[in-house]
Amino acid sequence: MTMMLKRRRLALALVSGLLLATSAAHIAKAAPPSRAEAFRFLNQATFGPTSAEIDRLMALGDSSQAYAQWVDEQMLIAPSLELPAVQAKYATVKNVTVLQTTRQDRWFRNAMVAPDQLRQRVAFALSEIMVVSERSVLAKMPFAAADYYDLLARSAFGDFRQLLGDVTLHPAMGVYLNMLGNRRPDPVRNIRPDENYARELMQLFSIGLVQLNPDGTVRTDAAGEALPTYDQPVVEGFAHVFTGWSYSGASTFAMAKRTSTTQIQPMKAYPEQHATGTKQLLTYPGVQLPVIPAGQTASQDLDAALDNIFNHPNVGPFIGRQLIQRLVTSNPSPAYVARVTAVFNNDGQGKRGNLGAVVKAILLDPEARPTGAAISDVTGKTKEPLLRLIQFWRAYEAAARNGMYHLADSDRIFGEGPLLSPTVFNFFRPSYASPGEIEGRNLVAPELQIANEHLNTSVTNYFYTQIFLRNSTKTGLGTTIILIDISDEVAAAGNAGALVALIADKLLGGAISPTLADEARDAALRVAATKPAVRATEALYMIATSPEFAVQR
Amino acid sequence: MDRINRRRFLRALSAGGAVYALGRTPGTVWAQSTGVSGFADYKALVCVFLAGGNDAWSVVVPSSDAEYAAYAQSRQNLAIAKDSLLAINPTNADGVLYGMHPLMGGLKDLFESGRCAVIANVGPLIEPVTKQQYQAGTVRVPPQLFSHNDQQNQWYTLRGRLQLRTGWAGRVADALAASLGDQQLATGVSLAGNSPWLAGEIATPYIMGESGVNEFTGFGSAGPDLQRRLAFERLISSDYDDVYSRAFADIQRRAVLYAKLVNDSLAAAPAISTPFPAGSLGTQLKTVARMIAVRDRLDMSRQIFFVAAGGFDTHDDQLIDQPGLLSNLSSALAAFHAATVELGVSQSVTTFTQSDFGRTLTSNGDGSDHGWGGLQLVVGDAVLGRTFYGQYPVLQIGSTLDIGGGRMIPKISTHQYAATLARWIGVGDAEMGEIAPNLQNFAPRYLDFLPAA
Repeated sequence: MTMMLKRRRLALALVSGLLLATSAAHIAKAAPPSRAEAFRFLNQATFGPTSAEIDRLMALGDSSQAYAQWVDEQMLIAPSLELPAVQAKYATVKNVTVLQTTRQDRWFRNAMVAPDQLRQRVAFALSEIMVVSERSVLAKMPFAAADYYDLLARSAFGDFRQLLGDVTLHPAMGVYLNMLGNRRPDPVRNIRPDENYARELMQLFSIGLVQLNPDGTVRTDAAGEALPTYDQPVVEGFAHVFTGWSYSGASTFAMAKRTSTTQIQPMKAYPEQHATGTKQLLTYPGVQLPVIPAGQTASQDLDAALDNIFNHPNVGPFIGRQLIQRLVTSNPSPAYVARVTAVFNNDGQGKRGNLGAVVKAILLDPEARPTGAAISDVTGKTKEPLLRLIQFWRAYEAAARNGMYHLADSDRIFGEGPLLSPTVFNFFRPSYASPGEIEGRNLVAPELQIANEHLNTSVTNYFYTQIFLRNSTKTGLGTTIILIDISDEVAAAGNAGALVALIADKLLGGAISPTLADEARDAALRVAATKPAVRATEALYMIATSPEFAVQR
Repeated sequence: MDRINRRRFLRALSAGGAVYALGRTPGTVWAQSTGVSGFADYKALVCVFLAGGNDAWSVVVPSSDAEYAAYAQSRQNLAIAKDSLLAINPTNADGVLYGMHPLMGGLKDLFESGRCAVIANVGPLIEPVTKQQYQAGTVRVPPQLFSHNDQQNQWYTLRGRLQLRTGWAGRVADALAASLGDQQLATGVSLAGNSPWLAGEIATPYIMGESGVNEFTGFGSAGPDLQRRLAFERLISSDYDDVYSRAFADIQRRAVLYAKLVNDSLAAAPAISTPFPAGSLGTQLKTVARMIAVRDRLDMSRQIFFVAAGGFDTHDDQLIDQPGLLSNLSSALAAFHAATVELGVSQSVTTFTQSDFGRTLTSNGDGSDHGWGGLQLVVGDAVLGRTFYGQYPVLQIGSTLDIGGGRMIPKISTHQYAATLARWIGVGDAEMGEIAPNLQNFAPRYLDFLPAA
């Protein structure tokens, strides 16, 4: 208890320091968040605003501290996990496909109803950066996949250096990117260490390919070309670092094997397969140890190599910008990225890589909380299809009578699913620019990489089925069917204007365009008042499938 | 295309939704052209993208004693057994014997019957480069060699070190647009998601599912279903305050515009009796065949299709995974070729592979890592086949092409490869610089595995 209070006080001190530094002037007179402001915030920080959470946030008072207090409270909630569900299922069912489905169901359940919403949202963001996927041999390792996701949830507000180490030694990652079982070189047989993890760890999980300024802009040479962060000898150096690791619990490398236990234990170093020579690491201003000396143990090499990556100046802008993109906006200003980088580099207590402080800085930044003229035509982002669905479900208290949220293989409908990326490059790239205005204006819209004629149709049709066929007025459906609760809408349907206002409040925080409001109202009015459920669903379909609901602003 | 023209085009595209709502024929929005087709014949290019970087050194293997010995020494446990190779007899034999992977019988038959060409040692280049030049850094090479998405992007865009975000097939579609005004559908069609390869300045590809097109549920031509559809169309044709809503509405508009048209067309396709292998690639290629079968219904005279197969990033378990990958590729290519014969278009359809990169000759124990040059395959009855284009390299560690670990310097550039394909489908030489911006650095400009248009 005392510990908790202390941590909370520390966190509060931190936040107020941060806010004072950024926008001290107008903070003193700040009003409580408006309903629309609370809605926007919860759209960024949770899997979707609910009426109850909006009320609670607004009741926290003065917006200069309400958001921060909400974040602090969230960060103290214990992680909701996936592994226990998979293990419980394993008591009766051994089939890996069933266990995989159990994990996916639990992901949906956590997204829907877990109290640690901010943690879950950040874990999901991290799962799209430090990607492992069950669309691989990991499909046979449901415990590993679940435990990996739980690692991300536990680490969501933790220390990024620790996370790098935990991710690196997790068997899910070990199997997915082939560090597990990676052997020392055998020059006689031209066998070299596997380079997969070395490359993707740098390219995707930590620093990226090109040198960045603290504001996320690319550093260039005199000819205007981007400066690379590393070259092939560095990849090879790290590939040699990541040798000698396999499943724990064996006496030799050759005997290490996968079990339901070892797939959730950190990998173990086996000295007989660790490359012992010198290893080239990253070189950058201020680097401590650019070359690992020969003769160190696998663990010593690993620590030195991950320290070398962690202290690279790119990590703050590279990870910070992607977290901003996942939570707040696709096209943050360089100044926004720079403010988040500063917090990554130093959380105010002299600590580097404090993800909790980074998340808080992202959500409390003035650019995440714009008003009036500060809202431009690039503010916000396209919602990922799954976030669109879950936000909709949360607003309409979706539930199945059996208490489950079963939507297996959601990637086939939505183009994405929890730990189901087609490759380590995630469902979409942070730099994706859709052809047309986005590309033409040199903007990006990552989520639009999985928006196309095919997927948009299947997602739109899913909403059709959910709204018209699977709502609370329907009877006789199976216990596994997820139903939305439209009883409020049915009750309000006698007044089409009130009906539309109600839906707009739940889905758009009240911010509905006159055009959409008119279309939704007309859709309702085309149905006789004697059929309130049909009225309600026609209006709801118009709003839930609109471009306005597809975007988070 | 400058900013203003782009805007004008986007506006024209936006008008498309409204046009459809009024019941007029869609499709005119695709090209700002005279509306007259300049092509009397039909041609299609079909790209099979091997995602992850295909280890092409297992597709065609040298089988003469000395060359096989060098190959086996380099590849160690990744080497394909010599006596299992399917012997091939290229017309331009260089004194070395070659064989194909034992599970690629379909492809071997296509090669031996002159319907398949092998492009030997091709990869992204800005200009020709030797090992010495590469090591000294005196010649420009594409940035971020060996990185998946960067090198995929090189294959897609041919950008080299230019800031070029359009794909070369998209630029081909742009170049042909003036002659394709009658086409009811985009020139570029992807069955494997959004592909930068098909995105031009003007051309926007159409993206369909691997087995066809979903129609919108609850959209009809009478009663509430009609009213719902019209309201939906009005909303996606509205103007929005932010770039994301506008971009999303654009996609929705194309989805609505084409779902019924394409689906109705496919419903009218003749049954194709050629069996396709099960799985994603076979399914995609069968759908391409069905789309080609209904080309006249859609007034298509030039089409460019994108399909993809994954799993080629064989860092691990290559010996376990590669046989399935390559046999599936071979049987899918053979089935698709047979289907084009069945449809009477085998002279008009050329299928070809692209892939992130070749892989290292050396093993990492049970797999290979990211390399550079590799082999690509071209299939079709227009292809001047049973021939290697380019020199199959000696697969020796430390050779004059090996920049380390058996990463082979390509001797043929993706520019030459793309230009040859683009020329066949109708792009003139004068416009080829738009398609392949560094083509002038290479000789010859065209590889002649396909004739000029």
